[in-house]
Amino acid sequence: MKKLPYIMFALFSLLFSSHLQANSQASDDISIIDPYVRAVPPGQKISAAFLQLDNASDTMQSIVSASSPAAEVVELHTHIHDNGMMKMRRIKKIDIPAKGQTVLKPGGLHIMLIDLKNNLKPGQEVSVTLKFSDGSEKTFSAPVRKIQMPGMMKKMQH
Amino acid sequence: MTGQNNHALPEGGDFTLQSVQGPVSLKDFRGKVVLVYFGYSMCPDICPTNLSMMAGALGQLSKEELQRVQGLFISVDPERDSVQRLAEYTQYFHPAIMGITGKPEVIAELAKRYGAAYKKVVLDSATNYVVDHSSETYVIDPQGKLVERLPHGALPEQILATIRKYL
Repeated sequence: MKKLPYIMFALFSLLFSSHLQANSQASDDISIIDPYVRAVPPGQKISAAFLQLDNASDTMQSIVSASSPAAEVVELHTHIHDNGMMKMRRIKKIDIPAKGQTVLKPGGLHIMLIDLKNNLKPGQEVSVTLKFSDGSEKTFSAPVRKIQMPGMMKKMQH
Repeated sequence: MTGQNNHALPEGGDFTLQSVQGPVSLKDFRGKVVLVYFGYSMCPDICPTNLSMMAGALGQLSKEELQRVQGLFISVDPERDSVQRLAEYTQYFHPAIMGITGKPEVIAELAKRYGAAYKKVVLDSATNYVVDHSSETYVIDPQGKLVERLPHGALPEQILATIRKYL
């Protein structure tokens, strides 16, 4: 694990960003909407976080990494639907277009939580920290939910 | 959505795999509508989504109907999915879904007959490897014949209607 360079980078970002950057940080411009983490069967060591990201700024913002105390490793992933095959792939970043939004949802982009430290049950909350390309970070709390899909939402709330 | 599939259905047919309670054959479920899905338990998103949809449909059946329906989750990743693990995994979604697997060559032959595809892919990721896979649900009628394929992400209502069509 090459953690040290990241920590150094984060520290430098924290130290200098407020002085050098007159513009706002990505973390200020990005809103997190309806985040949730998928509840998993007993013994399941992986899960995924889904959410909507709104970008209020005039520039594209990118998530370059994520972390969570709930998992040993957190990665950015997507699914490619290729001729009937579902291909999950790790990606380097997730872009949020200027004045636009990006939705992380089942079957598409997601934040993958690998080697979960505890079983995730509905009702729990998971803290997730996103790191943006400008070095700023945003932490949010996501409730653990059973799967939610369009058309099922009303049923799920019964 | 169903009509387009019917003229080009794979042959399907019988198979025997292993469950936590011993061998399981498709023949064991004659008289029942069987839903077959190929996947793997380490699948973070695609399989749980489809199993949740299947569970959503099963949950709307009456007790009598449910006795004539069986879900089968066939793991294409026997390297990581023990039958114990599969039992635990599928029970979480619905008690009428059974997790089964077998020798790689047996699964390969069976998947081919059902038109299911999968491929192990090593990623630069802490997951070590993932399995690319097709994500259809195969519907077997009470006579053991493959009669329909449901697309990935089919909603509970569609699955429910399909089950009832063959009950």
